[in-house]
Amino acid sequence: MRKLSRDKDFILRIQEISQQNIADCYQCGRCTAGCPFAEFMDEPPNRIIRYIQLGYKEDVLKAHSPWFCAACLVCESRCPRGVDIPRIMEAVRTIHLRAKEQLIDIDKIDKELLKDAHPLVLMSALYKYSY
Amino acid sequence: MQVSYYPGCDLYTKAKVLNDSIKAAFNAVGIELKELANWYCCGTTFTLARDNKMSLIAPLRILSRAQKEDGYLLVPCSICYNTLKRANYIFKNDPDTLKIINEHLGENYNGGEKIIHPFEFIKEHKDEFKKGVKKSLENLKLGSYYGCYLLRPKNEVEFDDPESPTIMEEFVQLMGAQPVTFPLKVECCGSYLIVNSPEAALEASYKILKNARERGAEAIVTSCPVCHYNLDNFQSKIAGMHSDHQFIPVFYFSQIMAMAFGLPVEVWGLEYNKVNPTNLLKEHKIL
Ligand code: SF4
Ligand code: SF4
Repeated sequence: MRKLSRDKDFILRIQEISQQNIADCYQCGRCTAGCPFAEFMDEPPNRIIRYIQLGYKEDVLKAHSPWFCAACLVCESRCPRGVDIPRIMEAVRTIHLRAKEQLIDIDKIDKELLKDAHPLVLMSALYKYSY
Repeated sequence: MQVSYYPGCDLYTKAKVLNDSIKAAFNAVGIELKELANWYCCGTTFTLARDNKMSLIAPLRILSRAQKEDGYLLVPCSICYNTLKRANYIFKNDPDTLKIINEHLGENYNGGEKIIHPFEFIKEHKDEFKKGVKKSLENLKLGSYYGCYLLRPKNEVEFDDPESPTIMEEFVQLMGAQPVTFPLKVECCGSYLIVNSPEAALEASYKILKNARERGAEAIVTSCPVCHYNLDNFQSKIAGMHSDHQFIPVFYFSQIMAMAFGLPVEVWGLEYNKVNPTNLLKEHKIL
């Protein structure tokens, strides 16, 4: 069995950035059930929340899931506990970005896409995934 | 009647067709859309990090400019609408934050601006818009696709029911076409994931298009430039991934208005549609 390595500072940091109370989530799984991108995530949204509740900082920070969250807010509108999950996903991304770890490398964006891309998707992607 | 409106950057670039057709269509029913003076980018997608106030700066400047006009700002782009509305929610409900940004910018915005989407405006002025309809679209079956930004979060955008909205179907009906409702009409198209995780975005778009078709839609109607981009632009790619994909045209709602109001075909901006709608429109004797 894994030893509980409760990183309290990490929980507080996520709560500060997202202004969400992590303990509110009772793990019903509705967020994951409705998430259109859960199938692409290595850890589904409810598990990310659970890891944060437990203070599993490393597991949260190494998960790819937050980069697959499109901030579509479906989960937020369906959570029976009023947890704003996309804000929590953003908080995780924010921790990466403020540590200067980013997902997007402009040079690596598909050239064909770049030529004809809608400015809104480029702006949003750069905004969400780079510092 | 004159209404101030905020085009946002995309209505000057990729979504120019939305700008041209909405102005022409509103004009046709006697409403002049008057572009807000000195506007600039709203900052695109709203930041979800609550400790970041930067993203409120552009919206406050825009809204304080609008305040000098008539207190009523029409915003056709779903993303600009979402960003401005959510920022304004903070300005209305969090006086401390409003004060900080106002002081920082030397502005005096009071939080009172009313941001309105064309669908809401049309609903309020139903009769005028109905009178504008000159051409029959009666057999055209349009799938109303909402996407995310118009609907969520419910308490901040206050647009319609986020799970089963009907305002677009009402619009389609008003224009004389047949609204088709489908379960995935409120599901995300993949948004900006198309840049970094195209496989996830394309899969999401495929499911939406398929779902609409299965429910009988012959074309999709939307108001969001990002949804339009994802759903219309990549159908050849989607067809490469899924052999059962059937091409389906995607229109901006304003193109449908231009058709219904009998405006010249150049105003419809069909050259902006990647999936060619000509055959469909001919089949229904619209073109
Ligand atoms: S829907 Fe809300 S309460 Fe349920 S698992 Fe997700 S975050 Fe927790
Ligand atoms: S906001 Fe993110 S986590 Fe929530 S349903 Fe959408 S993609 Fe999934």
